[in-house]
Amino acid sequence: MELKVKQVKRVDGVKEAFYIPAAFGGLRLTVKHFFRNLFGSRDVVTINYPEEKRPVSMRWRGRHRLTRKDDGFLKCVACYMCETVCPAKCIHIEAGEHPDLSIEKYPVRFDIDELRCVFCGLCVEACPKEAIRMDTGVVAMAYSSRKTFDFTRDLLRDNYDPNQHESPKYGDEDLPRPESQESALPNSQGIPAS
Amino acid sequence: MDLILEILSIPLVQSILKIAFIILLFAMPLGTVLTLMERKWSAMIQDRVGPNRANVGNYTGNGLLHLAADGLKSIFKEDTIPQGANGFLYLIAPFFGLIAGVATFAIIPIAGPIGDFTFQVTDIEPGLLFIFAITSLSVYGAVLAGTSSNSKFALLGGTRASAQMISYEVFMGLALMGIFMVYGSTRVSDIVNGQNEYWFGNLIPMWGVFTQPLGFFLFFTALIAETKRAPFDAPEGESEIVAGYFLEYSGMRWSAFMLAEYVAVAGVAVLMTTLFFGGYHVPWLHLWESAPQWLVTLLQIGKFSIVTIFFCWLQIQLRWTLPKFRFDQTMSLGWKKLLPLSLANTALTAVVVLAFM
Amino acid sequence: MSLATQQLSSLVTPPPQGDSDTSIMKIEIGPSHPAMHGIVRFTTYLDGELIVGMEPEIGYLHRGFEKESENSKWIQVVPYTDRLNYVSPLLNNIGYSMAVEKLYGIEAPRRAEFTRVIMGEISRITDHLTCVGAASMEVGAFTFFLWFIKAREYLWELVEEVTGARLTTNWTRFGGNATDIPDGFFDALQERLDKVKDIMDECDKLLTRNKIFIDRVKDVGTFSKEDAISFGFTGPMLRACGVPYDVRRADPYSVYDEIDFEIPIGSTGDCFDRYLVRMEEIRQSISIIEQAADMMPAGPIMTDERLMHYPDKKEVYGNIEGLIDHFKLVMEGHQPPEGEVYLPTEGGNGEIGFYLVSDGSGDPVRVRMRPACFNYVEAMPAMTVGHYVADIVPIFGSVNMIGGELDR
Ligand code: SF4
Ligand code: SF4
Repeated sequence: MELKVKQVKRVDGVKEAFYIPAAFGGLRLTVKHFFRNLFGSRDVVTINYPEEKRPVSMRWRGRHRLTRKDDGFLKCVACYMCETVCPAKCIHIEAGEHPDLSIEKYPVRFDIDELRCVFCGLCVEACPKEAIRMDTGVVAMAYSSRKTFDFTRDLLRDNYDPNQHESPKYGDEDLPRPESQESALPNSQGIPAS
Repeated sequence: MDLILEILSIPLVQSILKIAFIILLFAMPLGTVLTLMERKWSAMIQDRVGPNRANVGNYTGNGLLHLAADGLKSIFKEDTIPQGANGFLYLIAPFFGLIAGVATFAIIPIAGPIGDFTFQVTDIEPGLLFIFAITSLSVYGAVLAGTSSNSKFALLGGTRASAQMISYEVFMGLALMGIFMVYGSTRVSDIVNGQNEYWFGNLIPMWGVFTQPLGFFLFFTALIAETKRAPFDAPEGESEIVAGYFLEYSGMRWSAFMLAEYVAVAGVAVLMTTLFFGGYHVPWLHLWESAPQWLVTLLQIGKFSIVTIFFCWLQIQLRWTLPKFRFDQTMSLGWKKLLPLSLANTALTAVVVLAFM
Repeated sequence: MSLATQQLSSLVTPPPQGDSDTSIMKIEIGPSHPAMHGIVRFTTYLDGELIVGMEPEIGYLHRGFEKESENSKWIQVVPYTDRLNYVSPLLNNIGYSMAVEKLYGIEAPRRAEFTRVIMGEISRITDHLTCVGAASMEVGAFTFFLWFIKAREYLWELVEEVTGARLTTNWTRFGGNATDIPDGFFDALQERLDKVKDIMDECDKLLTRNKIFIDRVKDVGTFSKEDAISFGFTGPMLRACGVPYDVRRADPYSVYDEIDFEIPIGSTGDCFDRYLVRMEEIRQSISIIEQAADMMPAGPIMTDERLMHYPDKKEVYGNIEGLIDHFKLVMEGHQPPEGEVYLPTEGGNGEIGFYLVSDGSGDPVRVRMRPACFNYVEAMPAMTVGHYVADIVPIFGSVNMIGGELDR
C-alpha cells in the first residue's frame, strides 16, 4: 500500500468567527440530550451499582475458584504449575499425601493473596487439570482488612452441590490436615464462602 | 388581633417581614436547590443520573437528601486556616459574595402591589444603581479571599477575579443605559410598569428583550461574567489554578462561596426577568378585566418564578455546553467587543428614543 | 544554536530572575494537580500570568518495569505491559509479543494478525478518545469528556468480551493470541462503531467549530517540524507538525500493508492540529477495523510450533509428549534463541518500541521499552514558555502524557 496523506482541515469559516452560532449550536445539542433524558428514552448509561450490576462477559477474569471432580473432591493435584507461572507470586501451595493412593497428591494448603494477584489468568492457562478457574464473575472484592484478602483453599473451593456431585468418598475430616489449624486457616472470618 | 394588625402596618415591621420572606423563602432556598439542580441537570445533559445515594432508611428522594447531607457535612468539616493566612480577612471574605447576592433581591418586585402593600422590600429611587453598587461589593469577597489565604494559586485567582469583575461592571452599566432611556427611569417599579405597555394595539408587550435585544445579550453576558460562571470562570480555573481564590477554604466557609455562586445565579435570573421579561406582569392579563385580585397576584408570582427558573436553567445549560475562555480572552472580549457594542447600543437607543418618543 | 538546543539548555539553567526578587513567581504545578493526569511535576516560573520558565520532573510513577521484567519469564512480562500505556493496553501487548516473535523468527497466523489489528485499532480509538476528552474537559467542556468516556466504555466492553478484562488485558501470547474473537462479535463491533461515530459527529459540531474552543487551542503550543524531529517526537504529535511518519506505513508490521488508510497530518503543530489529527485518526481507525473485519480469514489463532504455547488439554491428558511440553513450558518458560531485537510499533501516543535481549535461557536479559510520551514531556518547556499559565492545560492535554508509560 502506498503512503496516503490527508491534510486535516482547520475550519475557519464565517460561522467559526463568531461566538454566538457555536453557542446556539451547542445549546441545541445539550438541550436535546437534556430533554431526551428528562422525558424521553432516557439513554442514561449509568449503572446504579450495587442495586444494578453490569453483566460481565463470559470470559471475565474474576475471583478464582477451585473446581471439584465428579466425586466432589478437589481436582487440584498440587503440581505447582500455577504457583510457578504466577507473575505476582501470590499463590502458595503445600502438597500432602492423599489417602487414596491412585490420586497421590492433594493441596493441604492453597492460598491466594488476592491483593497481590494481577488477574492475568496465567494460572488458569497453566493448570494441567483445569482445577483453577477465574469464572466466578466476582467483579469487586471489597473487604475492610488486608488479611481478609488471603483466600485459603476452603474459601476458594467451589460450593459442594449434592445434585451435581456424587457423595464424596472422603469427607474433609478424613483428609490430612496441616500441622496447626491456625496456619491453614489464617483468616477465614468475614468472607462469605464462594 | 387589632394589635397585630397595627404592628403589621408599621413600615419597619413590614420591611423586616419582607426581608425575611424574600431571603428565607426565595433567595436562599433557590440558591440551595440550585446547588443540587446543577448536579442533577448536568447529569441529564451528560447521560448520567446524578447524585442519588444519600438516604434515610430506604428513602433517597431521588437525590433531594443530598441537600441535607451536604449541609451537615460542611457544618461538621474542620474549618482550616492555612499557615500564614491573614486570619481576620480570611475569615470574613466568604460572606461578601453571599451578602451581595442576597441584597440584589431587595429591590426586585415579585408581584404587583395590592393597595399600599408592595411585594418588594424597598423601591428606592436609584433602583438599579443600587445593584451596581452592591455587585461591586462582591469583588471584595474574591479579592480578600485570594490575597489573604497565602497561596499562589489563590492569589492568581483573586487577581483574575478582581480584574474581570471590575471590567465587566462597566459593560453591565453601559448595557443597561438603553433600558434606562427607553423606560425613562432607574427605579425598578417604573421599569417593570413600563414593560406593561403594548405595541400595535395589544399585540406585542414592550418587554425589555423586544425594545433592547442587543442590550439583552450584552447584559446577560456581562452578568454571567460578573458572577464568574462558565464560560467566564477563569478566576476559578479549576484545571490550571485548581479552584482559584477559594482554594484554601473548607467546611462552612467553602459552602458560603458555593452558596454565593448559586444565589448569584438566581440573582442574575431575577434581574433578567425583571428588566427584560416584563417582571411580574403577565402579558395580556389586563384584557381580562374581571380577574380577582388574588388570582392575579398568584399568576404574577407564578410567571415571575417560571421565567426565573428558566434563566437559572439556561445558565446551567450554558455552563455545561461551552468551553471556558482563557483569562486574557475574557478581558479582550469585554474591552474589544462588548464595550464598543454597548456604546453603539446606547447611542442607537438615544437616537431612536429622541426621534420617536 | 537551533531553537531546540536553546530550549534544551534552558532546561538545565534556572530561568533568569526578574528585575526584583518578587517579579518572578515560582509555582509548583503537580505532582498532584487537576491538570496533571498521571503524576508529573512542573516547576513553573511565572511573570504575572506569563510562563518564563519550566522544569518538568518525572518519575513519580516509576515501578521498575524493566528490572521487574528481567526477573520474570518472557511470558510473565505480558501482564506488565498492560500497565505501560494504560489507556491502550492491547497495543503494548501486541508490541511486546511481536518483538518476542521477531526474536524467535516466527510469525503469528494470519487470523491472529487480523484480530490483533482490530483489537489494536480499538485500543488506539480508546486512547485518542481519552486524550481528546481529557483535553477538552480541561478547557472546560466537561460534557464532551463524559460523552467520549461513554464512547470509550462501549469499546472497552468489546475488549472485555474478547480478552476477559477491560484494562488488564494480557491478551497476546508469542505466536498468536490467548483467545479468539467470540461469536457475534462483529455485529456488536459494527453497532458500537456506529455509536462512536455518532458521538464523534456531535462533538465535531460542538468543539471543532466552537470559537471559544478554537481560541483556546489555536496557535497554542506550536512546534515546528525541525524541532519536533530533533526532540524525537513520533505519532500524532509529529504528524500534527506536518511530518507524515507513521510506523504502520514507514516500517509496516503485522498486516497493515494490506489495509488502506490515510495518515492525517497537520500544518502548524499547535494544539488545534493535534486535536484534529487525533479526531481524524479515530475515523481512520474505524475504517481500518471495518476493512480488517471484512478481510478476516478463518484459521488458527496460534502458531503450531512446539514449545510456544500450551498444548491442547486433549494432548496433555492423552499424550505423554503433550504433558511434558506443558510442564517444560511452565517450569522453564519460553526460550527464545540468543540475540537482540528492536521492534517499533505504532502505539496510541506514538512509536512504542521494545528492545529485547535474550541469552537463550528462559529469562529475559534486557527488556527495554521506548515510551512515546517521554520526548513530549521533555519538550514541555519549549512548548509552554511564552504562553499564559492557562495554556499549560491544552498543551499538556494534547501531549497525552501517560504516567505508566512515561515512568515505567
Ligand atoms: S491470575 Fe495471575 S496473578 Fe493472579 S493468581 Fe493467577 S497467575 Fe497469579
Ligand atoms: S491448581 Fe492446577 S496448576 Fe495449580 S497446583 Fe493445582 S493442579 Fe497444579
